Amino acid sequence: MSPAIHLAGAAVERSGQRVVQDVDLRVARGSWFGLIGANGSGKTSLLRALAGRLPFAAGSCLVDGQDLASDRAGRALRFGFCPPAHTLPDSVRVRDVLELVGGSYDDVRPRLGRLSLALALAPLLDRWIGDCSAGMRQRVAIACAFAGGHPRVILDEPFNWLDPVAIFDVREVLRSMVDDGLTLITALHDLGTLAAACDAGLVLANGEVALALDEHALHTAAQDPQAFERQTIDLLRS
Amino acid sequence: MISPDSDRNRLFRHDGRIAINTIRAAFAGWNDRLVAVAVLIITLAMIKSWLAERPWTIAAWSAVGAGLLLGTSAERLVAKRLAFHGFDGLLAVDALRPATRRRYIAAWHGIALALLATVLLVVAPSLLIVGCASYLAGTLLAALMSGVTVPKRLADRVGSARVIRAWLRHGQAGALVASTLLVVLLLERSLTPNTLIAILGIETTLLTLALTSVDSDVVRFMATTGYGPWRIVGYHGKSMAYFLALAVPGCWLIAGSVAAAVVTAVSGAVLLLLVLRVLAYCLHGKRFADLIVSIFAGLLLFLAYFLPIALPFLAVAILWQLQHRARTKTWLLA
Repeated sequence: MSPAIHLAGAAVERSGQRVVQDVDLRVARGSWFGLIGANGSGKTSLLRALAGRLPFAAGSCLVDGQDLASDRAGRALRFGFCPPAHTLPDSVRVRDVLELVGGSYDDVRPRLGRLSLALALAPLLDRWIGDCSAGMRQRVAIACAFAGGHPRVILDEPFNWLDPVAIFDVREVLRSMVDDGLTLITALHDLGTLAAACDAGLVLANGEVALALDEHALHTAAQDPQAFERQTIDLLRS
Repeated sequence: MISPDSDRNRLFRHDGRIAINTIRAAFAGWNDRLVAVAVLIITLAMIKSWLAERPWTIAAWSAVGAGLLLGTSAERLVAKRLAFHGFDGLLAVDALRPATRRRYIAAWHGIALALLATVLLVVAPSLLIVGCASYLAGTLLAALMSGVTVPKRLADRVGSARVIRAWLRHGQAGALVASTLLVVLLLERSLTPNTLIAILGIETTLLTLALTSVDSDVVRFMATTGYGPWRIVGYHGKSMAYFLALAVPGCWLIAGSVAAAVVTAVSGAVLLLLVLRVLAYCLHGKRFADLIVSIFAGLLLFLAYFLPIALPFLAVAILWQLQHRARTKTWLLA
């Protein structure tokens, strides 16, 4: 079966500098793909390019078999994307933001499903974004990625700012959504989540693939998370 | 999956809602609304009166200039918003698709053009066509200019420009700029008095503007870390203090009291602008703060021209009102 997403030789430039190069990756349909790397290793740039927020400088980008490397709008249309929480507009309410992305809130609610509960969204709906804490903004940003009902979603470091309970609940719900057919790509800083929740992953270093992790490698990592953490940290240090 | 085709205007609605809510928040109190309406009426009356006293050609050229300025500014603002939406926004698809982009651009320019036409109909109906045509020419000009790519060497210089701007806030920068002005003034002594004063005024304006650049992010950061508004003004105005301390007595010695008065007056006006910007950045986001400062600066300029005696009273009233509100923002993150 062809993968849901297939990048080959992908490169991304920021301000004339190549920050991601020669990245090959395959994301199976209905799987959770984790991206790990040091700060500035190119994770965000790669995810933004995939979501159409940046152009690809080189390579191919197949989404369900269709090459969209040169079609930013096409990629943006096909992926739900979690915007950086601090860029959400202060002067609108949470409900307005979700409705702008996904239509009426009655349509948005079933798309969010159990995630709405995990994100504790109901009490936030009538709150101004400007009155939300960093964690609340992050909850809204995650909800935005799912409000449009996309079958492929990209989340850039979704667990930042969330409290431990929310991290646990959101991770569980995301996993169950993936089991129900969602294709999820996340940048992560938590090796434990990568090992325990993801089906495959990639370690980026200086914009290049340092290590590709398939299902078997992550299964092994989940059995001995400490050894996996030590190996990955050594790799990132080198 | 929701299709953007089901709501082709959502990008415009998104920004429209932000704009309306921001304006509502800024003018939440009846006092603020009354002041805004009064400022608007007085400004329109002054423009109308100024245009009525001028020959039609002068008025028409003023309308051309204003239209071009508004058109280029509006086009650049719209392009910047679209770039934001395409990169960081919630509705990237709409910002990237040509059809929805066009609708968004047309909607905002339609509103701006309608506002301009309304203002022109109130202040000088005979300038309606000239003003609106100039606005459209300005948008076209800005759209063409946006296609011009910046060479990498020039883009690299933007980084060094940031370093220069930061250095210009230091006291030694003020001293160096004042010394430069005095050396140039020595070389210009052979000019006739009127020409010398005019050139000195222009030089002082350019130099003091360079010394008083204000970064809104720096102002917000300082406010949230406990700096009161006047301490922030002090931080941004340090180089101006050195400049004034050297340039005013120096000009007096070289070119007499009139030259010193010109330097003092111009520096005072630029300092006032600096204070207005700092206080406005404490209170509002950059774009809205710039709009407020432009309105106040325009009002003060008109007053300086028509009723100079009232100028200090209005300036003090505006400063008091702004600093009173800005003080409450110290330490506040939101």
